[in-house]
Amino acid sequence: MSLIANHIVRQGCLTRPQSLLAALSGILALCLALCCSTLNAEEVDPTLILENYCADCHDEDTNEGDFDLYAFLDEIDLSKHTLMYENLVNDKMPPANKKQPSAKEKALVQQWLADKQKKSAPKPFRRLSRHEFVRSINDLLGTEIDLTAKLSEDRGSRYFDTDREIEMSREMLSGYFSVAEELLDQAFPVDGFPNPGNWQTSQVKESHKTYKIYHRPYRDGILFSWTRANNGNSYSFFYDHFEPPVSGWYELTFDAAKVGDFPEDIALSVYRGKHYIADDRPQPQTLMQVISIGSPDVRSHTIKVWLEPGENVSVHCYSKHNFRQKDTRQGIYIEKLTARGPLQSQWPPAAYTSTFHGLPISAPDRPTDPTSTTRVTVDSGGNPDDVLQQVIHRLSERAFTASLLDEQLAPYHQVAATAYAEHGDLVQAARQGIKAIICSPRFLTVANDHSSPSYAAASLLARSLWLSVPDTDLLAVAREGGLDTEASQRQAIERMLADPKSQRMVRSFCDQWLNLRSWRTVAPSLKLYPKYNDLLDHYLPRETLAYLNHLIQENQPISHLIDSDYSFLNQRLAQHYGIDGVYGHQLRKVSFSPDSPRGGLLTMGSIMKVTTDGYETSPILRGVWISKNIVGTPLSPPSEPVEAIEPEHGEHALSLKEQIEQHREAKACYACHKSIDPYGFALENFDPTGQWRDRYRVKTAHRNTFTYRHQGFFELGGPVDASNEIAGQPFEDIFGLKSILLEQDRRIAFNIAKKLFEYINGYQPDLAQRQDLLAKIPADQGGYGMRDLISDVLVYSIAAEKGTRNGH
Amino acid sequence: MDTRKEIMADGLRGRVGQPILRRDLLKYGAALPLAMHSLDLRAVEKPKTATSPKRVIFICNSLGFYEPNFFPKVRGDLASSHYLQGLEMHDKMTVYQNLYHPGMDTSNHDSEKSFLTGAPYPESATFTNTISVDQVLAREIGGDTRFPYLSFSIYDRGWGCSWNERGVAIPPMHDEVAIFDKLFGEEDLSAKKKQIQNDQLIVESLYRDLEQMKVQGGSAARSDSYRTVIAELEAQLQHEEFWLKAKKSEVVNTLSDDQEYAFSTKVRNLFELAKLAFQTDSTRVITISLDWIYGAITVPGASGGWHTLSHHNGKPDVLGKLVRVEEDIIKQLNRFTVEMDQIDDGEGRTLLDNTSVVIGSCFGDASRHTCNNLPTIVAGGGYRHQGHVVSEKPTHLCNLYRDLLHAHDVDVGGFGNSEGDDGLLAI
Repeated sequence: MSLIANHIVRQGCLTRPQSLLAALSGILALCLALCCSTLNAEEVDPTLILENYCADCHDEDTNEGDFDLYAFLDEIDLSKHTLMYENLVNDKMPPANKKQPSAKEKALVQQWLADKQKKSAPKPFRRLSRHEFVRSINDLLGTEIDLTAKLSEDRGSRYFDTDREIEMSREMLSGYFSVAEELLDQAFPVDGFPNPGNWQTSQVKESHKTYKIYHRPYRDGILFSWTRANNGNSYSFFYDHFEPPVSGWYELTFDAAKVGDFPEDIALSVYRGKHYIADDRPQPQTLMQVISIGSPDVRSHTIKVWLEPGENVSVHCYSKHNFRQKDTRQGIYIEKLTARGPLQSQWPPAAYTSTFHGLPISAPDRPTDPTSTTRVTVDSGGNPDDVLQQVIHRLSERAFTASLLDEQLAPYHQVAATAYAEHGDLVQAARQGIKAIICSPRFLTVANDHSSPSYAAASLLARSLWLSVPDTDLLAVAREGGLDTEASQRQAIERMLADPKSQRMVRSFCDQWLNLRSWRTVAPSLKLYPKYNDLLDHYLPRETLAYLNHLIQENQPISHLIDSDYSFLNQRLAQHYGIDGVYGHQLRKVSFSPDSPRGGLLTMGSIMKVTTDGYETSPILRGVWISKNIVGTPLSPPSEPVEAIEPEHGEHALSLKEQIEQHREAKACYACHKSIDPYGFALENFDPTGQWRDRYRVKTAHRNTFTYRHQGFFELGGPVDASNEIAGQPFEDIFGLKSILLEQDRRIAFNIAKKLFEYINGYQPDLAQRQDLLAKIPADQGGYGMRDLISDVLVYSIAAEKGTRNGH
Repeated sequence: MDTRKEIMADGLRGRVGQPILRRDLLKYGAALPLAMHSLDLRAVEKPKTATSPKRVIFICNSLGFYEPNFFPKVRGDLASSHYLQGLEMHDKMTVYQNLYHPGMDTSNHDSEKSFLTGAPYPESATFTNTISVDQVLAREIGGDTRFPYLSFSIYDRGWGCSWNERGVAIPPMHDEVAIFDKLFGEEDLSAKKKQIQNDQLIVESLYRDLEQMKVQGGSAARSDSYRTVIAELEAQLQHEEFWLKAKKSEVVNTLSDDQEYAFSTKVRNLFELAKLAFQTDSTRVITISLDWIYGAITVPGASGGWHTLSHHNGKPDVLGKLVRVEEDIIKQLNRFTVEMDQIDDGEGRTLLDNTSVVIGSCFGDASRHTCNNLPTIVAGGGYRHQGHVVSEKPTHLCNLYRDLLHAHDVDVGGFGNSEGDDGLLAI
């Protein structure tokens, strides 16, 4: 965010090296040297090419953007080459209206810059991220307990979780210790596993009087109609007679039918949270899952959800765009809710069968009695010490993705042995040993010191694609040295991408690359965008994830990031985008008509939302987002003091373009903003929820406290003008911008490759590595897809890591 | 215990077997010396000191205050400032004008990282922060309480104003219910004790693990970075073990759950928790980061993106909303100081008299992202307050921090970029 802010405003002066670096943005501005006879790139010194194309604007006297080419060439430390390199790759310099070097000349200079740059020496280790920590332990123990939220975000202002510059703090280590304890407690409970209960209910708890009419007795159960509370929240009704006694996984079965004479399904949103009665100020509820109810006959719908004691299950039903259902005889009839749990996905639990592999495990059948527990015991066969040694050996191989000698494992074994000597409980002793393993420096700091290249490859692949440790199959392959060749690595990548765990990579990469992790921090104004609701909020990011997953799994071309004629929608998203005939809430592939602006990432509601503050859109912010995340245009801080600007619509709508153009008119701003803002302007037709608009909305006043109404509080303001020009190419709107971007698919693929490299390795590729990555991307993108790109960057990263290992 | 001490000393300095001096330990992190200090010096009962302990709280309003509403229009007359009119404790506060951190001319929002450290150029790619003033105080006066320090923020951003001596961000706590529970919630003491002992055994084994790694010949930097944090964790465990013997204070939960103005509620609750923590002597050092994110907030009379509003560019309608937000923050601050002043802390002094309340921001003018003339107030603390202090020339904010450290008997020559001897605080 600070980077975005960096570009909006600036007050200060050029007094320090950072500012000089910033000023390099002005770098290769054109102007040709006196006689420009045709140069043969093959034979020419790259510095002459630079001189030829750059010196007129960037010599000692002209010094545009405060960049002096000759001073640059004289410098011994040439570490400032990156910006020049990126400006060349991205055609930012020389400017479009100046004479352009040939492709050969550019390639020559790029290679020269890469050769000159000092080889980067990234820190040889990093701390394990909180996401990797929780995923890895769950996979090691066969549990599914997401405790990530109990660990603080420690990324600071850095973009990628893997960034090697992030340092571990005592607070983080302390957090790892306590989350490890909690996970182990669930996996190996000292007092046994809570037995499951079985609840059936068709009654709801008390609700506020305003909303009582939206649930009514009906046949053998309840008919729920839809309503939003006065503050705009989805008012949900709490089921009575089911209080989850312990935290765990529960199965909820709703026997339900649709009551209503319209073609759409009705969404049954299932929440968890503390019961409330209040009118407007419900305690925060968490939307767990959505069930689509379309049949007029009662059918059973079962979902599996995580519940905590003290929480209740509540339901909210939603259909069409009505604020409140006037005819409360329409809605969802729920005959009854049946709850079962806490569930064990297998019995005896996976934590026991994997940890004590091959030993007799005693796990009596669990009775249905939530007040009691069932103990699981392990027979050590008279050799507890051998058993503990085996447990440590097996688990550590997977946790560390390395084969360690017994003496190296002695500290872990010793912890377990000491515990066993104290209380004679084999399982609890093993648990202590496991805790030592997952809190150890070997596990919490990721370093390139695996016991073989195959283990190293397995570790990198598992962390990147699954945010976890290898599974037993991958580990077996690595143990035999089966990941040493590129072919075997690619084969493993194929298998790992086909595994549902690869969804974690899609999610994690989207969160970081596209900044979807800011999802919750922006809430669209209900005054301006009253139709925004929980259901839409739930599905918007899921559209993006489903789309990217499809591009990867089906190896679709990189250009589909910019445009395609399909996306993954359900009834709610289709309504949002104004597409008819999509019924039901399952996401499915939906084709767009040729005149639809949709298709590709840029026009998705999720992206449109995370690039605003929920009230207004800013072409600068959206322009920065596209420059950074999609196109890869290098950005640098403004070079001289500039008055702030945060564009506003509504009453100022007509002058919006003028406001920003004023900002750009200042010469210092122009060089950068002319290559940033136009992207954002093309998206002005999309409001902060991603809906198409031809005119801006201007907030109108309301009396006293805000009370939700479905028409909102706004009037229409000035018309949207989405036209602009980028690099000399004019466009009218998003359609025009997409055509321009589609011609740059190689550059965009290169940018994604760099982002992936950083996501995987935790540092930015140096110029030599950029050259390698660039070389992997075919000039003609025919047949080259997202899956190929991911595979290429992973294989390249394995080799790069191997290189650093050999180098040390 | 002895073995552990030796290993620890080895880990820190490579001097096995030599006694650890408190002075030496002070250099190696907040928690470590605190625990040793507690163990050596403290009885289980609260010490009967002659005077009530000194406390300090730092509050960073990350988007600053609209300058014309903040500083007195008439020099020396606090009532001539729109915002200060909203603060009642004029006789117990000093407003400082013309303070700044050098090296922030192009820092923008990154200046927030340096608010309590004064480290220059926080926007640089190679920036490494330095210890923040609250952590220096935690190191010195934090060992006597259950929590050496507390650090709060509005959002789960992972960093606030507190930075350890290695310049690593200390993640603030943001969930007020969780904070209340941590401060005053009941614990299963025997289970906790068992747990601490188990963890201590694990820590011991991990020291051995580090030795193994050394033999194996891996990256020394990797082992060292882990060794540093595990030594701190070990000290934390000792500190926690010690405090198991003392009962937590019983406190009525006075947190608000008003969801209509969730932002106001959050700010109010964080101040409320600070008040309760001081009142029960659970800690003596608190930092509150009123951090911003891009999303919209609602306060009585206005809603909008706080950040968007801060870029008012002088437009009256936008500015009007921003002022509502800032007035709301001032209102919560006032409530906090007034209530602190109503709590008797013995010897005719109030809790406010024994608590230095430092209110400031990394921005002088958020609309233009400038970091000059930072809005700064010191309230309470029992100082001879001077109302309105205008420095003749721009003066380093770290001078004030240094004076604060001296006021707490922390023996440092300077702090950050402090210079000269301005004597900003009158003791």
